[in-house]
Amino acid sequence: MFGRMKDAMADAAETLRQAFAGLKVVQVEAEPFSLGLQAAPLLLAEPRAGLQVPEAPLRILQLLREAAQGRDMEPFLAKVVGEAGWASWGAEAEVVRMEPLESGRATRMAVPPLPRKVQALGRHEPLAPPATRRAAESLARPALRRADPTLPAGLALAGLDTMLSLAVPIQAENTQHLPKGMWMRYSLQLVRGTGENVRNLEVLGLFRIPRKGVADLRHDPKQGRILVRLEAAALKAPRAPFILARRKDDGGLVSCFVEDP
Amino acid sequence: MAESIKLAYFMAVKEGASYLGGLLVTDTSGIPLDFRYTEPITPTRLQSILYGKSLEPHLKEEVIQKTLLKELKTPPDLFILSATELAGGWSGDAKYPVLAVQKSQESPLGRVGEVFRAGPREVLIQLADGAAPLRAIFAASVDPAAQEQAVVKLVEAGYHMDLTEPLERVTAALQSLVVKEA
Repeated sequence: MFGRMKDAMADAAETLRQAFAGLKVVQVEAEPFSLGLQAAPLLLAEPRAGLQVPEAPLRILQLLREAAQGRDMEPFLAKVVGEAGWASWGAEAEVVRMEPLESGRATRMAVPPLPRKVQALGRHEPLAPPATRRAAESLARPALRRADPTLPAGLALAGLDTMLSLAVPIQAENTQHLPKGMWMRYSLQLVRGTGENVRNLEVLGLFRIPRKGVADLRHDPKQGRILVRLEAAALKAPRAPFILARRKDDGGLVSCFVEDP
Repeated sequence: MAESIKLAYFMAVKEGASYLGGLLVTDTSGIPLDFRYTEPITPTRLQSILYGKSLEPHLKEEVIQKTLLKELKTPPDLFILSATELAGGWSGDAKYPVLAVQKSQESPLGRVGEVFRAGPREVLIQLADGAAPLRAIFAASVDPAAQEQAVVKLVEAGYHMDLTEPLERVTAALQSLVVKEA
């Protein structure tokens, strides 16, 4: 666009240059430049008697005083100044007078054609592919650690003493299921062992307990069992039938081991 | 014959963040023949995360139980544990019939020694006159034939003792041991 405008301006300038190329230059006599058509009054100095206090405003006086403090007052020097240019200008000036344009005196000029094709500037350059650079450092290999998830087996401890400190419930055998002859034999041994009258005894149960090592024995009437606290000797002792009975007259408990037939 | 039957009662408890277990071997009168217990095992936080929900079953079955069974001089005839432990997916050991016993609320069966099969792995056993039958639940690894043999032993032992009581004793013993160590 600027190229076209530039060309158009150049064409217009060429047209104007050619249009005014044939004009005559007429030299005319310049009129002399005269001074003193109006006389200026001469400077007059009117003397006055005595000194008078200047009536300048205090503000101006102060400014002058401040300026005078920095430098000394320079003396005024008189100097004659002449201007010779006026005479020179009046003698050498040229006045160009253009003749008015007349019809028919203009010449036809060939206007150069505008270019059909203009050069395209500012071609869009394709983006250059970016250069690849390798800057990434390889990651360091992590240290391998092993956390063993295996649960420890633990140590097995013997705790039979602890278990023996707990009472062992022993159920009574059902005497109803015993052969009648065997029960008669047990009853006879109970009377002999306790020295009680069989009519005065109420059998609470027949239990099989260790013959040795029974430290404590209690009767649990609600569940028909006995609670025995055993010692270590009871573990290897043979089991023997044991009858627990209550005296009817005073409620006291009597017991004895009986022999199996 | 009854004297030769050995019943092993296993119980594992959790005290705080630690697990410990006990194994009580009794005769058919309930008299203790042996009792072993493990030191408290406290899994680390990493182990708890890695094992997840399988931590407790693995600890009880693979770690505590096997450790205790290794200490037994003679193998038990029956390996009895609580119904809760068995319901947790106890696989059991082929050497010992694993079962749980519990008192039932069922009406008594006809006579002592009578057995009623309530399911493929569950039987009711009448052990005392007029009392509620005992419920026995076998582990999945116990086949029917082994169940029949185990029921015979249960009837024999149940004549002399309360088959469910020793588990309470094991629990009480473990708790007393924990208190002692604390």
